[in-house]
Amino acid sequence: MGKGMAILIAKKVTKRFGGLVAVDRLDLEIQEKSIHSIIGPNGAGKTTFFNCVTGFYRPEEGEILFNHHSLVGLLPDKIVRLGISRTYQNIRLFPNLTAMENVLVGLHGHLKANFFGIVIGSSSTRKEEAEAAEEARKLLRFVSLSGKGDFLAKNLPYGDQRKLEIARALASKPKLLLLDEPTAGMNPKETQDMMEFIQRLRDELGITILLIEHQMRVVMGISEIVTVLDYGEKIAEGPPVEIQRNPRVIEAYLGRGSVEEATAA
Amino acid sequence: MKRKNQNQFAPISSLIVGLKTGLIGAILTVLLSLIGMVEAFSQREIIYEVISMGHALLLLAGCFIAYFSAKRTLSEKKSLILINSLIAGILSSVSLILLVVLGHFVNLRSVFINASPVLFNLILLGQGIEKGSLLLILIGALIGLFSGTLYLFPVRIRKAIVLPLSSVLLAGVLQDLLRPTLSAWGPLSKLSDWLFTANGLSLSGAITLTIFIGIGSHFWSSKGKGIQKGIKNLSLRKRRIITYSGFLILIFLLLILPHLLGLFLSEVLTIVGLYILLGLGLNIVVGYAGLLDLGYVAFFAIGAYTTAILTSPELGFFHLSFWSALPIAILMGIFSGVLLGIPVLKMRGDYLAIATLGFGEIIRILVLSDFLRPWLGGAQGIGKIPKATIGSFEFARPQDIYYLILAGCLLVVFISLRLKDSRIGRAWMAMREDEDVAQAMGINLVSTKLLAFATGAGFSALSGAIFASKLGSVYPHSFNVMISINVVCLIIVGGMGSIPGVMVGAFALVGLPELLREFAEYRLLVYGAALVAMMLLKPEGLWPEAIRRRELHEESEEKTSSQPTEETSV
Repeated sequence: MGKGMAILIAKKVTKRFGGLVAVDRLDLEIQEKSIHSIIGPNGAGKTTFFNCVTGFYRPEEGEILFNHHSLVGLLPDKIVRLGISRTYQNIRLFPNLTAMENVLVGLHGHLKANFFGIVIGSSSTRKEEAEAAEEARKLLRFVSLSGKGDFLAKNLPYGDQRKLEIARALASKPKLLLLDEPTAGMNPKETQDMMEFIQRLRDELGITILLIEHQMRVVMGISEIVTVLDYGEKIAEGPPVEIQRNPRVIEAYLGRGSVEEATAA
Repeated sequence: MKRKNQNQFAPISSLIVGLKTGLIGAILTVLLSLIGMVEAFSQREIIYEVISMGHALLLLAGCFIAYFSAKRTLSEKKSLILINSLIAGILSSVSLILLVVLGHFVNLRSVFINASPVLFNLILLGQGIEKGSLLLILIGALIGLFSGTLYLFPVRIRKAIVLPLSSVLLAGVLQDLLRPTLSAWGPLSKLSDWLFTANGLSLSGAITLTIFIGIGSHFWSSKGKGIQKGIKNLSLRKRRIITYSGFLILIFLLLILPHLLGLFLSEVLTIVGLYILLGLGLNIVVGYAGLLDLGYVAFFAIGAYTTAILTSPELGFFHLSFWSALPIAILMGIFSGVLLGIPVLKMRGDYLAIATLGFGEIIRILVLSDFLRPWLGGAQGIGKIPKATIGSFEFARPQDIYYLILAGCLLVVFISLRLKDSRIGRAWMAMREDEDVAQAMGINLVSTKLLAFATGAGFSALSGAIFASKLGSVYPHSFNVMISINVVCLIIVGGMGSIPGVMVGAFALVGLPELLREFAEYRLLVYGAALVAMMLLKPEGLWPEAIRRRELHEESEEKTSSQPTEETSV
């Protein structure tokens, strides 16, 4: 890693909410096919940055480039078509649609059927639907949700909902996947599975992963580069081993006086 | 639902719940009597010389409350459950007796004009105060025990008891429809003569009906599963044959329906049909896309007025036929749907509802205005709208217009079904579930929303066009906000997003009130009470949207074991 080209470049991105600066002149480069983590205390601006990348917020200043396309000012539906997909910190599935339909919605941007084609049931529409269904089944299998496709999303257990959200994000065939705390609320076993799964995404599908994570075990275990935010500013960046020892990070993360404790652990 | 209470005071707190429920029942029965429903309904007999509709209403209220009381009992002890339903039943009776006693000493009629001696006599079953009260308490206790036992029975037996009783009740309530319909049919007229008297069912008819349906329901609940399984185990081709033949029978029935039903019922059917068209259109906007549109009547009006302007010789601008005006009316609907959609694109929920409500009123006021009178007819409306014709056949009688509406409904159902399980339908539903995430999944909110508005408006305009040709004239006051509200209600009562739900909702909220016109005074009251009860007891609707099984239905035929269980709300 490291020598690949940058897939996402953020230059001096600033997002303010009234007087609060949520993201402050953030510079960030994500290398293609890397697993890159963003960490930081609550309110550090991690999710805000995600929202800037995916088009939910428009940063006041700065530039975000994805494969040389500028993302600032684009609507979320345009950005996902460029190849950036995401999951949410608090799972946001379509609760009253089935798992299968959730994934099919993820495929939306790749389907072309129009109103009249659908109504008359043209052969191209039917072929496309059949292919989409096959693709969705494949994705469900990939996240090991085979056989659960016909359950309503809201009736799935928590862990499965997390998986389904990733399957839905994968359906849009992203080049860059933003995962917002994918292991939140999971037990150690589930966390371990998720870590392996994230690595598979990169290794098997070649997707670049940008991760927000609170569990240090996950961050240190799978990321190649870690960026640390505090009050919207980047305070450190580097491989996990370096970050672990960075006193400024430990201070920001755990408060003054915990430096010794943390290094001991 | 039921908590096991180890607390030693459990019986007492449980009884308090029973008492409270019983008091609600007491209020309910007294209320039903005082507003005059019991007296008004008592003129109609359910079973001739056995029970009138007024008494049936009181009985039903008592049973309902007693059952409810049993259900709400905190303990699982059978004795406590029975005692609770008994209390509720007796309290309902006692309250009626108290009402009569009070009525003897105080003149209630200055406030409650319905508290007449006739009512009191009805309540006491014509037996005088002493005998009547005793009888009433006895009946109260009996229905209490009956409902309590009913609650304790397993579902299957409960069904086998409730179904026949409610069918007898329904047959009695709808006797004016069933009798003429049945007697129009040679062989069935004998059956009708035997089942019905001039007022109400005959006793022997009622008993036979009860037994017949009871046995039928029992048979179906014990054997029905096996039959269904048997059908499932058949080969795909045989199953298809069964499905298709069922479908053909349905079509055949729909085609001959107006000939069976006669003028009045066909007229009711056409009204229901127009509402189904409206409901299916709004179902796309509200049920699928989740955009609460309260100005939906506007598109109905636009469809009707466009047809009127293009065809009516009264205005004399155009002299198109119905068929050439129809596509233009639909296009006008679609166009105005988009026009309404553009300014409200950014609005959600309540704000959207208010904005669209305004739009509906604007259209009504525009057609009412004096300024536009030369073009739109003002308050006098537009008359002399020609009927639709095919060759020399004119869609003039309700029985003929029925076919026009049936064709419209079938077309709209077909389009709805196709759209629902498609890229567009999923985009609508995703938008309903979570607009932000839908957008992040690549759904263009602007075009998707506008498409929903346009499709819904097109269906509504179609309904409006048929409405104009059916009535032969259009008036501004036909397009008031109550139509929008009714359509929203029928969607909610039927089940949001469900196509059969729209039909059931239209029959329940539009058809049934038409049939019970003689009780028109109580129409809105019952309507309101039914809506509240629906939302409390069955918020998902009468016929909720089915879960669409897409993962497994193509993969394997036999694999039914891993199918998801649908949610059951208790």
